Amino acid sequence: MRAERNLEPLTISDEDFRKFQEYFYRKTGIHFDNAKRYFVDKRLVERIEATGSETFRNYFMLVRFQASGAELQVLTNLMTVNETYFFREEYQFECMVRSLLPELTARRAKGAPIRIWSIPSSSGEEAYSIAIYLLERWPGINSWDVEIISSDIDTEILARAREGLFSARSVQHLPPRYLEKYFRKTPAGYQICDDLREAVEFTRVNLTEAVDTRGYRDFDLIFCRNLLIYFDELSRKAAAETFYDALRPGGYLCLGHSESMSRISNIYKIRKFPEAIVYQKPQEGRCNVS
Amino acid sequence: MQRILIVDDAATVRMYYRSTLAALDVGVEEAVNGVEALEKLLQAPFDLYIVDVNMPKLDGYGFLHELRSLDVPQVPVLMVSTEAQSGDQAKAFAAGANVYLCKPVKPEQLLLHVRFLLGGVRP
Amino acid sequence: MALIKAPQSQPVNEDERRHARTARDLMADLAAADAATRRWAARDLAAFPEAVAVLVARLKVEAEVSVREVILTTLTRLGDDLAIAGLVDCLRSEDAALRNEALEAMKQLPEEVAPIMRGLLRDGDPDVRIFAVNILESLRHPEVEAWLIDVIAHDAHVNVCATALDLLGEVGTEAAEGPLRALTARFPGEPYIQFAASLALGRIHEG
Repeated sequence: MRAERNLEPLTISDEDFRKFQEYFYRKTGIHFDNAKRYFVDKRLVERIEATGSETFRNYFMLVRFQASGAELQVLTNLMTVNETYFFREEYQFECMVRSLLPELTARRAKGAPIRIWSIPSSSGEEAYSIAIYLLERWPGINSWDVEIISSDIDTEILARAREGLFSARSVQHLPPRYLEKYFRKTPAGYQICDDLREAVEFTRVNLTEAVDTRGYRDFDLIFCRNLLIYFDELSRKAAAETFYDALRPGGYLCLGHSESMSRISNIYKIRKFPEAIVYQKPQEGRCNVS
Repeated sequence: MQRILIVDDAATVRMYYRSTLAALDVGVEEAVNGVEALEKLLQAPFDLYIVDVNMPKLDGYGFLHELRSLDVPQVPVLMVSTEAQSGDQAKAFAAGANVYLCKPVKPEQLLLHVRFLLGGVRP
Repeated sequence: MALIKAPQSQPVNEDERRHARTARDLMADLAAADAATRRWAARDLAAFPEAVAVLVARLKVEAEVSVREVILTTLTRLGDDLAIAGLVDCLRSEDAALRNEALEAMKQLPEEVAPIMRGLLRDGDPDVRIFAVNILESLRHPEVEAWLIDVIAHDAHVNVCATALDLLGEVGTEAAEGPLRALTARFPGEPYIQFAASLALGRIHEG
C-alpha cells in the first residue's frame, strides 16, 4: 500500500536523524553530531528520492535489511569524503617515520628489506607519498632497503598510477621543494620522476580473492585506508584476517582516520603512538583470557 | 572534571546511563565494545569505566584484561552483566572489576556506586 | 640502501603445494602446533563443505583468537545447517568470548538462522533468548516485529524484554505501541524498562 504522495518537501525529523545516527555509528563507527544535520539530512533525502522510498521509514528499512548491502554502501560513499591526494592523512606517514620504522628497525637485525604494502593504490598518490616520506623524512633509508608494493582491483587505475601523472589539486599539499624535486610540470599535469615510478611495484589484486592474496607475505607495514569502510561486514573481517597473515609478527596495519578495528576484528593489538593509533600483529599468539 | 566511559553495545543502555549520570558533574563518553573502549582510553584515559559483559569483538572480560595490563592509570571498573550467577561475580572480581552489577541497573544503584568509586563526586 | 623494487610477486612453490592439499591434510593442519598453519588450514577449508563438523569441533577448543576468527569466517561462508547447529552450541559455551563470537557469526547468516529462530526465542536459557533477540537485529524476515512483540508480551525475564525493546525502537511500527505500554505495566518497578519503552514509543510515534 503506497502512502499518498506528500507534496511537501521531504524533511528528516529529529527522531529519524537519531535513528540513522545510531545505526550508522553502530555499523561504521562514524558519529554525526547535530552540527552535521544539514550535511546528513540533505544526503538522506537525496537517497530516499533516488530509491523511490518516499519516506525515511521505508528507506531505513531498505538500508537495514537489504541482503546485498548495496544501498548502505552508496550511503556510506555519500557520507564520507573520498578524495585522494598526496600526503592525505599525513599524520600516519609521520607515524611511520617517527615511530613505526624506528621501533621496527630496533628489533630487527639487518638483512631482508622492509616491505610496505599500500592497498588500494588508486592513482598512486599514497604509494608515492610513502616513497617521498621515506626519502625525505626517514634517516634510516640510508641503511635499509625498502620495498613498496601497491595494489588495486582496477587495472585502468593501476595503469594511471604507473604513469605517474597528477593534477595540481592532487599535489597541492606537497611542500614546494618536494614538488620541484620529484615532479616535472608538463602541459598535461605534474609528472612524477622516473626514479620514483621505478621504486614502486603496482600490482593487480582483488583483496577478497584468497588466490590473489596468497603470495602477499612478510610485510612489515600495511596501509589500507578508506577501503574497508565500503566492504560488507564479512568481507571486512576476512580482509583483516588476510592482512594478519600478510604481516610479519610485529608488523603494523594503518586504517583510514575514520575507520577502526572496533567494527571489524579483535585479532590485532592496538598501539598508541604520539602521531596515531595503529594496529599491530602480535609477536606471538594471543590466547583466550578465560 | 572526571570522565567516565560507558561501554555497551546497546545504544539505549548507553543513553540510559548517560541520562542517569547527568546528575553528576562528570564528563561521559561512549564506546560500543571493548576494542573501541581501548582505542578511546589510549587517546585519553578515563577515571571510571562502566562495562557490559556481553559485547561483540571484545567483551567485558577481554577489555578488563587488556586494561589491567596496560600502562595507564588503573582506575575502577564497574562491570554490568545480565546474569546473577555467583560464579560470574567471582570471575569479574578476579579479573579486576571493582563492582559487579546485574541488569537492569537502577539509577540510584548506579549513582551510589559511581559516587563511591569516584571518591566523593559532587551530586 | 634505498627504495628497491620488489621482485615480481609470484606464488611461491610452497604456496602451490599448500593450495593443492586435500581436505584431509587441511583438517589435520587444524590441530597443528603453529597458529599460522592452523589459520591457513581454516581459511583453505572454505572450499570443503564436508569440513564443517571438524571446524566446529576445533572452534570449541581453539585458544588462539586469530585462529578462532578465521574458523568463524569460514563457517559463515559455508553456512549450512550443520554450521548453524555448531554455532548454536557455542552460544551455550562457558566461554564468554566464544559465545559472543558465535553470536556475531550467526548475525551474518540471517536467512540460515531464520528457520530455527522461533525455537531459539523459546529456549529455556534466558541468555540464549537474549542472543536470539540480538540476532533479529540483522534478520530480514516478515515476522521480526511479531516475534519481538511476542517476546515483550510473554517473556518472563526482564533482560530478554529489555533487549527486544532496544530493537523495537528501531524497527517497531504502530503494532508495537499497545504491547510496549503493556510491558511498562508488567515491570512498573524497573526504571530501565520505563525509559527504554518510552524511547521506543517516541521513535515509533514520530517515524
